[in-house]
Amino acid sequence: MQERLSFYVKRESPLHSLNPLTKLFIVFGLVLLSFISPWYWTPHALILIGIIPLSFFGRVPREFFRVASRLILPVSGFLFVMQSLFQPGGTNVLFSFWFLTVTLESVLYGFANAMRIFVMVSSFTLFLLTTHPSELMSDLTRRGLPGQFAYVIISTLQIIPQMQAKANTIIAAQRSRGLDTESSFRKRIGALVPLVGPLVFGSLVEVEERAIAIEARGFTSTHTKTSLYEIPDSTVDKVVRWGLILLILFTFASRFFIVSS
Amino acid sequence: MKFIESVKKDFNTMTWVLIPVAIAINVVMGQIVVTLRLPVYLDSIGTMLVAALCGPWAGALTGTLSNVIWGLAIDPNAFPWWPVAFFIGLVTGFCAKGGLFKNWWKVAVTGFLVALTAAIVSTPIAVYLYGGITASGSSFITAYLLQTGRGVFESVFSTNFLVEPIDKISTALLAFAIIQGLSKRFLARFPRPENVEIEEGATRTQLFIAIGLVIVLILIAAFVLVNFLG
Repeated sequence: MQERLSFYVKRESPLHSLNPLTKLFIVFGLVLLSFISPWYWTPHALILIGIIPLSFFGRVPREFFRVASRLILPVSGFLFVMQSLFQPGGTNVLFSFWFLTVTLESVLYGFANAMRIFVMVSSFTLFLLTTHPSELMSDLTRRGLPGQFAYVIISTLQIIPQMQAKANTIIAAQRSRGLDTESSFRKRIGALVPLVGPLVFGSLVEVEERAIAIEARGFTSTHTKTSLYEIPDSTVDKVVRWGLILLILFTFASRFFIVSS
Repeated sequence: MKFIESVKKDFNTMTWVLIPVAIAINVVMGQIVVTLRLPVYLDSIGTMLVAALCGPWAGALTGTLSNVIWGLAIDPNAFPWWPVAFFIGLVTGFCAKGGLFKNWWKVAVTGFLVALTAAIVSTPIAVYLYGGITASGSSFITAYLLQTGRGVFESVFSTNFLVEPIDKISTALLAFAIIQGLSKRFLARFPRPENVEIEEGATRTQLFIAIGLVIVLILIAAFVLVNFLG
């Protein structure tokens, strides 16, 4: 059982030491660029010259490729196959069998789409690999995000593994007293109640206690809270952020220019 | 200002503490369903619980953060679908506010309305982001509809509409069953206990009304779908 639930890999690297907000900007920058750019090969180029070098820059290439091959490639591969098979339209027929015709247009369309999704998900993955969730939250809180949001995100990340452990215990316990979780469809539906009941009621009971506990620690206080950790925000961060904003505006403008000309 | 005040009233400490638990319920339920190999998701039970007990905006927030955390911790593919979760929470909340969370058949109506909203909201995301065919298993239906020469929007919406109601109605019913199992004293600590005051009545009759109603609603919707889109 995992202790905490996150992709984070603790390393020393230029990407790790960037401000979390800057990394968020990079992520959204990459995603926006791949979606709004008028040039067909943008997503592909972004992967080759953006995301893969960044993973080496952040010293997490091995972890990155592992997540990519486990989570991202299956999804974008599936998308590519489905879309090139089923997207109607196009005139250059590559080959056809049974009732399917695969055209050059649909393959290209599917490829670009799959690559866009790849850019989107892999840039988020890269962000998560190099940013600790509580680092992100304390930085955002410092910039004015209400503390309650940070509480919700961080405590959820702690509650989920606990609850998964609890769920596993309940499943094991109910199986040991003969609950059928594997046979017919009807039996499996019937198994839902004895599994969900203890889990949900058990965790809801804790809610009240926890509310009293955090209330006693000044949760609803409106004063500014001090933080134990300082999160650096250097000039490099600011330059990167403004550079990205300009790049996105430029791409957006170029799109209109190309469409109108 | 009145609006902000009323929203603020929904976010007391109990709400803030319930939200993480609700998100965890969403996530863990999603996984239990996979373990049991059931053909539904049931991954918004927590969202519906919060929406019924703490109002629409708390529900919407729970839904959104649910997807954010799903993306943060389990699968980054979940991020783009947050608007769907947002509206699931919002619509459930408004239904509960309007008194549609008080007995079995009313809850089934809530589930149906939520399913309709979810189908509408997820359609543009699937179309613009994924080009219509997403990574879920139901995409085979979409692909089939596309091949028969229908438009992208129409195909995606019809698919969603076929898949969503079963999932969302059972989610709503489960959430209602959970609320029924909680004590009145506990419920009274949340901002909107009056939403879930259970109406007394013959349970069996209610269940029959619920089932009948669901079938009628689906038939009507299918009729509308065929006539106005097809």
